[in-house]
Amino acid sequence: MSAGTAIDPILLALVQNRLDHIAQQMGRVMVRTARSPIFSQAHDFSCFLADAEGTVVSQADGIPIHTGGGGFAARAIVARFAGDIAPGDVFLLNDPYAAGGNHLPDWVIARPVFVGDDHLGFACNRAHQSDIGGGAAGTYNPQATEIFHEGLRLPVMKLVEAERVREDLWELLKLNCRTPDLLDGDLRAMLGSTRIGAERIAALTEELGTDQARACFAGILDYAEARFRAVIRDLPDGTYRGEDRTDNDCFDPAEIITRVALTIEGDRLTVDFTGTDDQIRGFKNSSLANTVSGVYTALYSFFDADLPRNEGSFRGVTIIAPEGSVVNARPPAPLTMCTVFPAHDIIHACWRALGLAAPERALAGWARNVFGVTSGTKEGADEPFVMYHNNLAAGGGAIEGRDGFNQIGHLCTLGGLTIPNLEVYEQIYPVRFLRQEFRCDSGGAGRYRGGTGVDYALEVMVPALYSFRGEGLRTPSGYGVNGGDWGAVGAMVLSPHDGSEPVEAPQFGLMHLGALHYEAASPGGGGWGDPKTRDPQAVLADLRDGIISAQAARDIYAVVPGDDDASLDMAATQALREERAGAPPQSASS
Amino acid sequence: MVPPWRIGVDVGGTFTDLVMVDARGALMIVKTPSVPSNPGEGVLDAVRKAAARLAVPVADFLAQCRLFVHGSTVATNTVLEGKGAKVGLLTTEGFRDSLEIRRGMRENPWDHRKPFPPALVPRYLRLPVRGRLDSNGAEVAALETADAAAAGEAFTREGVEAVAICLFNSYTDGRHEDEAAQALGESWSGEWISRSSAIAPTIGEYERTSTAVMNAYVAPRVVTYLRDLAAELQRLGLPGALLMSQSNGGVVSVAQIADRPVNLVLSGPAAGVGAMTLAANALGDDNLISMEIGGTSCDVALMSAGQVATSDALEIDGYHLAVPSVEIHTVGAGGGTIAGVDAAGMLFAGPKGAGARPGPACYGHGGTEPTVTDAQLVLGRLAPGAYAGGSVTLDRELAREAIRARIAEPLGISIEDAASGIIRLVEQHLLHAVERISVQRGFNPAGFTLVPAGGAGPLHGPSVAAMLGARRVYVPRQAGAFCAMGLLQSDVRQDYIQVFMRELDGDVAQAAQAGFAQLRTRAGETLTREGFTDDQAAYRRALDLRYRGQQWDLRVELPDGEEFDPALVRRLFEAEYERQFGHIQPGGAIQITSLRMAGFGLLPPLEAASAPASKESPQRRETRRVWFADGWHDTAIFDGADLAPGQSIAGPAIVTEQTMTAIARPGDTLTVDAAGNFIIDLAERGATA
Repeated sequence: MSAGTAIDPILLALVQNRLDHIAQQMGRVMVRTARSPIFSQAHDFSCFLADAEGTVVSQADGIPIHTGGGGFAARAIVARFAGDIAPGDVFLLNDPYAAGGNHLPDWVIARPVFVGDDHLGFACNRAHQSDIGGGAAGTYNPQATEIFHEGLRLPVMKLVEAERVREDLWELLKLNCRTPDLLDGDLRAMLGSTRIGAERIAALTEELGTDQARACFAGILDYAEARFRAVIRDLPDGTYRGEDRTDNDCFDPAEIITRVALTIEGDRLTVDFTGTDDQIRGFKNSSLANTVSGVYTALYSFFDADLPRNEGSFRGVTIIAPEGSVVNARPPAPLTMCTVFPAHDIIHACWRALGLAAPERALAGWARNVFGVTSGTKEGADEPFVMYHNNLAAGGGAIEGRDGFNQIGHLCTLGGLTIPNLEVYEQIYPVRFLRQEFRCDSGGAGRYRGGTGVDYALEVMVPALYSFRGEGLRTPSGYGVNGGDWGAVGAMVLSPHDGSEPVEAPQFGLMHLGALHYEAASPGGGGWGDPKTRDPQAVLADLRDGIISAQAARDIYAVVPGDDDASLDMAATQALREERAGAPPQSASS
Repeated sequence: MVPPWRIGVDVGGTFTDLVMVDARGALMIVKTPSVPSNPGEGVLDAVRKAAARLAVPVADFLAQCRLFVHGSTVATNTVLEGKGAKVGLLTTEGFRDSLEIRRGMRENPWDHRKPFPPALVPRYLRLPVRGRLDSNGAEVAALETADAAAAGEAFTREGVEAVAICLFNSYTDGRHEDEAAQALGESWSGEWISRSSAIAPTIGEYERTSTAVMNAYVAPRVVTYLRDLAAELQRLGLPGALLMSQSNGGVVSVAQIADRPVNLVLSGPAAGVGAMTLAANALGDDNLISMEIGGTSCDVALMSAGQVATSDALEIDGYHLAVPSVEIHTVGAGGGTIAGVDAAGMLFAGPKGAGARPGPACYGHGGTEPTVTDAQLVLGRLAPGAYAGGSVTLDRELAREAIRARIAEPLGISIEDAASGIIRLVEQHLLHAVERISVQRGFNPAGFTLVPAGGAGPLHGPSVAAMLGARRVYVPRQAGAFCAMGLLQSDVRQDYIQVFMRELDGDVAQAAQAGFAQLRTRAGETLTREGFTDDQAAYRRALDLRYRGQQWDLRVELPDGEEFDPALVRRLFEAEYERQFGHIQPGGAIQITSLRMAGFGLLPPLEAASAPASKESPQRRETRRVWFADGWHDTAIFDGADLAPGQSIAGPAIVTEQTMTAIARPGDTLTVDAAGNFIIDLAERGATA
């Protein structure tokens, strides 16, 4: 078969599956070969395949917040090195302003795929490095006011040229990193993974012939476009607005709002951030690549999980992100935090707008995390430790049919970030854990209840440096939908063992503190629907389980328990619900 | 049949397979319908049917049995159907939600609308106990036995049938759990107490809790079933113990499994390891990949140098278990897998299956969605008429109609192209499953022999092997009763683990040796109790290791003996690391995380059947048109019973056996080996898409 004729539909299905499988295999190789736990444990990377123009055809492996960014990187390579891309080259980049990056810690390795002299595309991965220099260890510098404070900026470069690694460049990279051995190992893992990807695509192309392979790539993009347009078409035409906000700019309290207007016209969708607040001093600005990823994370997660996720589906969507706003910052604004927090705002704003278009599919808000990082040195150890309080993760939002997850990883990973075992942490860090248990009356009330978040406590046995990112501490962050309530805010108090004054955690910044007792609560997710319509048995179960109080059962859910805690007084419940019908829901969280 | 014999009974969802081998290696297979409401009845039916076929009384039939091994999905089904016991859980104060948080692990983050499966213990039955060990096992606070006693009262009040105990840091020392169990016994009189430190002494409070809870959840159902069955078989005349196939690929007596029935959740498929051992012995090649294809799923396992890897990470229906289990990768691709065309015109196959009812369209039970079996029938690889031992009748017109309406017409292609498209798609899923299990462990599948199993599994063998770049396919004559065969060749096995967090340096040898000696003593005591003498016992030592700072372990097997040489361990670790990951960290600090000991009670090897080579050329039963990649071919159809060792057939050919159908493509050569199995040498490498 030659290009131009219709593609064999069976071949198209086979090629699509094969490309997805290749991307997944690249991911498995990454996990198995990487040095840093960021790859192997947190899976903070993605693998994707692009065609020769830099359009992403498959990204079957990867965290959600990388979903829309691959094409930015691949097209930056094509733009910079057009005519100078040869077999045996491998490209590296990270800069969000100059090179199609999303934020500096995520480095992209892209290996062109050739069959003979034909350039078919790129096998790529994007992965969060353990350290990239800059003003703070571990890639997050909460004091940054310029991108220059955040680490090494890389334009599009050839890391490997004609199969030879550019050793001088490799040394430069290691010299600018606090953990050069991890960087070395992880870059090798990325190179190995893209090699396998490129070899597999080349083998597939040889089977198909280059014309047919190109036609299949195009067919796969067309298919994704058709699927995506079909789900847009199912939504009623109109303009729907949503917003989300943060309560600080990393230095001062401030209200920074991300606003979006979604306009649906037939099978076209416009996502317009006009009216979003200006970029800020601190590192919670978003790059365009990250904003686009946030939009696609919101869109794909709103619809069915089996929608194909490649740039074909982007064709029916226009994204407007005003330059100089917090969703499309101008250099030299810092933006390392964008994959977590502006991403959270962007996803929430889009979800809230989408929820107006299709209320039955509406997604209540996932609470913002309150945890930061504790770093110090264990007694007798020769290396410092850096501990993320991942076991303080927040509650997720409810949807129709299920309650919010009581504790789940970051929204930008859709919970893909696994929560560690505390026993493992006790082996590694100088800490003793006291608690990680669901909170009471914290999940946003609703027909489906928001996730609870947890009460969390530990003793930190050594003096340490604390960095704070308390987004969910002061302001509720898990919004409710369709009459559901907000989830509760979090809390964090640090009480030094030496008896000095307890410290209420700030929303941002750094503090050196002695050994202490760390007590915190993570915020709750939002509820879905009127709590007075919640199944009374589910309310009773929550009461019995200590997830809600007796007062909440009666005042918010209008449920009356029987004489023991295992039964309902159905008559009294019905009477109470009728009496309260139409009354505004009462809030448990304020 | 010449006594004494061995009997293996594998209870599947649809059929109960009984396989027996006599003293000279002769085989008999009996298939009976399973009795899902009372699986033991299905086992006894199979026994009675086998005895009847040999025309001997059941008592004599059982009296001549030297080994009776059972593989059962009773534990698996208890989980899948949510029919386990009402369980109470004791946890350390502050941690009663680990079970329900599940570390946030979900298979596909994008599928966030899907809820978690229900927690097996509701929160009000997860009760806290004060007391604390630190991460080295030292006591920080004594156990408050009064808390455990109070919990027991609550459990009694609530009618709890089984209790799990998982206390924080108990992987370092089980003494608090023992104290809690004792205190609990004062106020709760149930039989079933599962202590995490006894069942799964591994680090990680979530997985350990989940394992102890699952054990408690299945114990009353599974152990009762096994005890009843064992008693009934003994009453009927079975002289020895009833052995059960476990998730680790070995077998175990009912007495031994009673404390830890959670080890049975992979009982069925894990028996495939024994079948791979049989195949390896017969073929003289112990690098195999098995692919057992059933109605809706396919289990893939890899054997390298005679070993199938085990890990402590088993997932069943969204529940995570830290029990030693053979690594089996399961994908939704089987005979009943449904194919179709989605709204945007893309062909798909799976993961949904047609089940037993209505089943494939060609069964004539009202199914209208085309399945893999329908495609095989349309392409002539299966014949119309009686199928699966006569339990169903295949109707080709129904299959053609389903494929025409659901696939050929929407895509504008011929029925044959549509049918072959379904097969290509499902074989691609199989290819990906095999690539996943091999590449992930650092193996190149091209160097392995593919062993397809299940009734229709061998039909996919040559194509999938060719896509892998493998040289040949080995089809056991009893491929349709693969796991039941495996039961006959499984040694008794128990695994022991001790968490051991130490740097691998010169100072560690003595402590490691002492740790292994303790495990060895425990393993030896169990084997002695089970009646194995020293020369019938074997032990394998292994270590979990990692480079400092990593979060993944790598398992390394140690040579036989008791010596522990850190320098040798480093070399072994580096070699395995290099093989799997392609690089090492020269001189990098290595940490040991646990010591492992597997104790084996060796059963005498099965007598391999062997018949003299035949000089005659094989006779076909008929010629049928069969569709291959390039269109229809007149294809010779053989009855397996007509094929003798030494005979060879040039493809295209189809061989029908009692329990399975095998195929050789044009250009392939099928040879019958001395054991009566089929070796298929492949024509060429196949396309992957």
